[in-house]
Amino acid sequence: MRFARLALLVVVLLLTAAQAQAAGLRLSNDRAGIATALGHKFVFHTTIRNDGATPASGLIAHLNVVDLSGHTYVDPEDWSSQRTRYLPSIPAGGSTALAWRMNAVNSGTIGVYVAVLPRSGAPVPPTTGPTVRVQIKDRKTLNSGGILPLALGLPALLGLLAVGVRVRRGR
Amino acid sequence: MEAVARGGRERSTPAWIVVTEQELRDLWLGGRGLVLSVAFSLLLSVIAYLVATNRALNFLEQRESVNLTLQVAIAVGALLALLSAADTVSGERERGTLESLLLTPVSRLEITLGKLVAALSLWLAAFVITVPYVWFLGRGVGLVGDALASGFVVGTLLAIFLASLGVLISVFAASNRVSLSLSLLVLLALFVPTQLPSSAQQGWAGDLLLRLNPMTAGEHYVGKIVTNGHPWSQDISWLLSPLVAAVVFSAAALVVGARFTGLRGGGSG
Repeated sequence: MRFARLALLVVVLLLTAAQAQAAGLRLSNDRAGIATALGHKFVFHTTIRNDGATPASGLIAHLNVVDLSGHTYVDPEDWSSQRTRYLPSIPAGGSTALAWRMNAVNSGTIGVYVAVLPRSGAPVPPTTGPTVRVQIKDRKTLNSGGILPLALGLPALLGLLAVGVRVRRGR
Repeated sequence: MEAVARGGRERSTPAWIVVTEQELRDLWLGGRGLVLSVAFSLLLSVIAYLVATNRALNFLEQRESVNLTLQVAIAVGALLALLSAADTVSGERERGTLESLLLTPVSRLEITLGKLVAALSLWLAAFVITVPYVWFLGRGVGLVGDALASGFVVGTLLAIFLASLGVLISVFAASNRVSLSLSLLVLLALFVPTQLPSSAQQGWAGDLLLRLNPMTAGEHYVGKIVTNGHPWSQDISWLLSPLVAAVVFSAAALVVGARFTGLRGGGSG
């Protein structure tokens, strides 16, 4: 019974410590909103500050992508190839900065945010940063690189040849 | 098939060449080859337009766009050769022209060889049509030469394999419909491994399946050269299966064609 109480105390202390670690973090972005166009690349930076009294170590920062319009399918893998970062130890009062490089895969409005959680997997809520609102304008590429003359011309040429052969045989 | 009879009298020209000439005339001046070529160029136009658009939007790299177009061209070009070959014996049988063809002083081996070569002309035409598309998509990065050369080698091997398979099926098929359906079924079966999830293609079993299947092995080889920029020798082992399939199936088609071509399916006629 005594041993069980001791074990429970240790668990509570560990969870409290982990929670305190997460609670001591503060995330901020260099931009609140981004306007770009379909197919373009863009970058934003996140600063993770440790306001706690002890160094924060064993943390993971994860980038999340959410469709805000509600009618566009978002596969986060397409938007950024490196969405998970294993952070170095952040000293008390110190900070670390991360650059997130992204591709605008769909037009519309998406929300991007970063969550930081302990690598230990302790059941504590992750610390999240503010959402970056990304507005992506559609782009029409009707004649990409001048493909249209070839795409229309070659079948037309062969079609004319086929008709010519048929007419000649018909005579 | 009058030309075949004439060819029999022209001692200077080998009979299989006369058969090939006549088959080419039927295929290209009869209009079927040109109609298939128009359809092929339309398909490539759609693919090229889509990949060019995707490249403009940064979703595809230049090498990937060339590879995608080339893979489609190889697969569909070989399919055209297969469809043409699947009509060779069963089609003649169904149109009632096989009897007069068998009565000409040309051996069945030469008839089969002539028809096989003529069927391959569809692949050659498909490749010629592919050239401007690959040039357009791959220009500027020194990619066009390797892409076209590897596409030609792999596509020719696959076209020989599939056209020979078509002839084999056509010799034994009871009707032209059966021959065409069975040929398409076999082709689809050969393409099935490309639709497996990437996890299923990993490991020794997945690797072996991809290597044994001439279609997947050939397309893998082209992909490595075009997309990854590998030298020709680095993945040469992937060419083994298309090469073996081309040699074995063409030899089998000639032997079977010479032995079993008859007025009824299965060579019983």
